[in-house]
Formats: sequence, C-alpha cells, structure tokens
Amino acid sequence: MKAFANIHPLVEMTYFMSVLIVSMFFSHPVLQTEALIGGILFCAALQGKKAARDIGFYLTLFLMVAVTNPLFSHNGVTPLFFLNGNPVTLEAVLYGVLLAVTVIGVLLWCKAYGEIMTSDKFLYLFGKAIPKLSLVLSMALRFIPAYLRQSRRVSRAQKAMGLYSGKSITDRVKNQARVFIAMISWSLENAMETSASMKARGYGKKGRTNFSLFRFYASDGVLLCLCLLLFMIPIMGAACGITRFTFYPRVDKIETTPAAIVVYAAFGMLALLPFILEVKEAIVWNCYRSKI
Amino acid sequence: MKKDILAVFGIVLIIALLISGTHIQSADEYYLTHIDDITPESETVTLSIRCDTVLQNYENLDPALKSAEFVPPDGVILPPTEYVLREGDTVFDILERAVRYNKIQMEFQGAKESPFGSVYIQGIHYLYEFSCGSLSGWTYRVDGEFPHYGCSLYKLSDGQNIEWIYTCALGQDVGAGWMGEDEK
Repeated sequence: MKAFANIHPLVEMTYFMSVLIVSMFFSHPVLQTEALIGGILFCAALQGKKAARDIGFYLTLFLMVAVTNPLFSHNGVTPLFFLNGNPVTLEAVLYGVLLAVTVIGVLLWCKAYGEIMTSDKFLYLFGKAIPKLSLVLSMALRFIPAYLRQSRRVSRAQKAMGLYSGKSITDRVKNQARVFIAMISWSLENAMETSASMKARGYGKKGRTNFSLFRFYASDGVLLCLCLLLFMIPIMGAACGITRFTFYPRVDKIETTPAAIVVYAAFGMLALLPFILEVKEAIVWNCYRSKI
Repeated sequence: MKKDILAVFGIVLIIALLISGTHIQSADEYYLTHIDDITPESETVTLSIRCDTVLQNYENLDPALKSAEFVPPDGVILPPTEYVLREGDTVFDILERAVRYNKIQMEFQGAKESPFGSVYIQGIHYLYEFSCGSLSGWTYRVDGEFPHYGCSLYKLSDGQNIEWIYTCALGQDVGAGWMGEDEK
C-alpha cells in the first residue's frame, strides 16, 4: 500500500518540501493542526499497525515540549499560578502546545519522507547536479534508520551470547551502553566503506550514466501543478499577513475571513493529499480483487 | 529486581529535589502582598514606571502590543507613588512589591542566572526587552542618575526617587551617556 511511493521523485520532493516549509515556518494553530493530522494519517497509511508502537514516545515528547515553554516564558495576560515569583500564564501554555504540535508534525513528516524518499530517489534527483553533497546528504538522511537497524542486530547478537539478558532496567541500560560503543565504530567504518564503494563505481565521474525506472507520466505533471498551487496559496497568505498569529501578550483570534478560510482549506488539501491517494489506491485495489 | 528499585528510588529523589526547590502560589495569593502603611516615622522612596520612548518610536513596536491597553497613551505605567522602605531594601525589592501590589505583569531573570550577579528586568507590563527595536529594554534611574549596575545591588536610603524607564536606544534617548551596560 504505497501509492505515493510510485510517483515520480521530483513530485515527491516538491511535495515534501512544500509541506515541511509551511509546517516549520508558519506558527499558526490551524495550519499546524492540519499538518499534524496529515502527518498522522500519512504515517498510519504507510506503516499500518506498526505506527501505533511509537505513540508513547510522541505523547511523552508532546508533554515535555508543552510543559517546558510556560516554565521559561512568563509573558501573557492570564496568570494561572506563580512559580518562584514568576507567572505561569495561559498564553505561554497555549504557545507550548502549538510548539509541541509543530515539533511532532515535522517529526512525522520527516518519518514519512524517510519511508518514501529512498536513497536512490534522492541520488536520482541531485546526483548529477551536486554529486558530493547529495551523497553526503543521502547518507546522513538514512543514518538514523540504518543505525537503529544495526543496533537491534548487535543487541540481538549480544543476547544470543547470553550477555545482559536479564529483564531488569539496569541490565537493559548496560546492554544499550555496550551496543552504543560498538555502534560508534560501526558507523564510522560504514560511512567510509560506503564512500569508498561509491568511488569504486565511478560515482560523480564525467560520462557515467545512470539507470533508473522513474518516468514522468501526465498524472505526475497534474499532481506537481496541484501541489505547487496548493503551496503558493499559504505563501500568498503569509505575504498578505493572513497567517500571522501572535500569542503574547494576548492570544489572537483565529481569522475566519473568506481569504483565511481559502488558505486553511488549501493547506488542509495539501496535507491530506498523500492520505487521499493511499485511500483511493486501497479502494481501487479492493475493487479489482473482488472482480477476480 | 533490586537494582530496579534502586534506579526508581534515584529518579524519585531527583524529582523530589526539583519540586522542593520550587515555590508555587495561586494568582490571588501572589497579588495579596502587604504594603506597609506610611506613618510619619517611616522611611519612604518614590517609584514610577514610564515608557514615553515607545510612543516616540511607535513604528518599531511589536504589532501585537500596538494598543492603548499595553502601551498607555500618556506613557505612564505607574505614576510616582511613595512606598515604605524596609531595612536593606534594594531597587528590585521596591519594584517587585509595587508591581505585585498594582498587579502589573513583570518578568525577570534571577540574580543567580544572570552573568552580572544581579536581577535583570526582562519585561514590565508586557513590554519586553527588544519589543520596540533591537536596542530597547528597561533601565532605571535613581535621583536623576543612572547607576551602572544591577537593580538588586542598589541599596536605597530614605527619600530617594526611583524611575523605571523604557529605552529604545540603549539609554541614549533617555539621557544615559554610557553605552552598553545601562540596561539593568
């Protein structure tokens, strides 16, 4: 079930960049909520039941970010209570919640990016123009997932040898520390080996051709135009000051003018686009299967 | 399992330490400060808080603050008021008592966190440092002179006149000659 992964890389890259730019730089509650919902649905569609495993991590992170802001920022007209003589205000709490929504939204979109934009797609897009930088970037982007995979492997091997196989937390922490030390040398070695093997294959040399299966279909063109259009609307909104939203000293009212609603709707569409595609694909697939 | 109990105990200890260092008050409790009544024998000082420079540089002001509610049209946040001076009071003690009594919002950086070893006033009445241009902030004057050190280091004596003023040009626009460290 990866309808979005079969689109041309150029469209995927444009799409991820536009969603990430809006969700990183626009501190507006409606847009951020849309980005978060879009991210959750997309990750759920991509990973299915596996996505539910990380909920605990994301909830903890959410709480931590949301609580941290009011502890350090005391601006705002509605004090809830006073901590060491400094006010903890409602405005700061709300801003903290928005920050948490932003952080988790961006994390989820980056996770989806990692699932969809594999190294070969990234190198296909940028390998010709900026070979060295794109190799470094693609290695950096796949570093964390590769690291996790390898560390699980090392940890399993250690368990099989009977080291630190106790169930207690301290044992597990000790095991993790041991694995971590092994992982540092592995990651350095791995980076060197990768670059050496790319060099051996003549990567970045003149006259080297690439083989790739990506073809730009008409539907990709339509999707690219749609994506750019939906991205331009929030940008225009920002230029007109519609997406400006302040929390201090008093929380703004959410604008409900027609122009503002167009901006919200456009970004909502953009954020939900991959989920809609996945659902459409699933329905079509089920239809075909029922006909067999 | 014994090791786990030890780890949990350690975490609980850290949390308890963190909580014991904080002092939580409800909003009403905080504002319920006692201001000493002025008697003929008591020593007093005068305190005022003004932000006239903001009105002169209104175009630089943070758009969120552009209303009469946050920046009074006459620039007076607290008119000159007399307060009883307690033994060993600094400028900061008087300011804190006055803003509490008048329910004026204030945010400050404690003396321990500040590199100057003194309390730093970040904002009064929602007007923060850098709210009106990159050279803006709060500074204070005692009897018409700018002390070049922090407000919690200045010990007051009877009859002194303290003015807290907002500057938009590192003190140059309010008459402080020395560049830089004026904002305390």
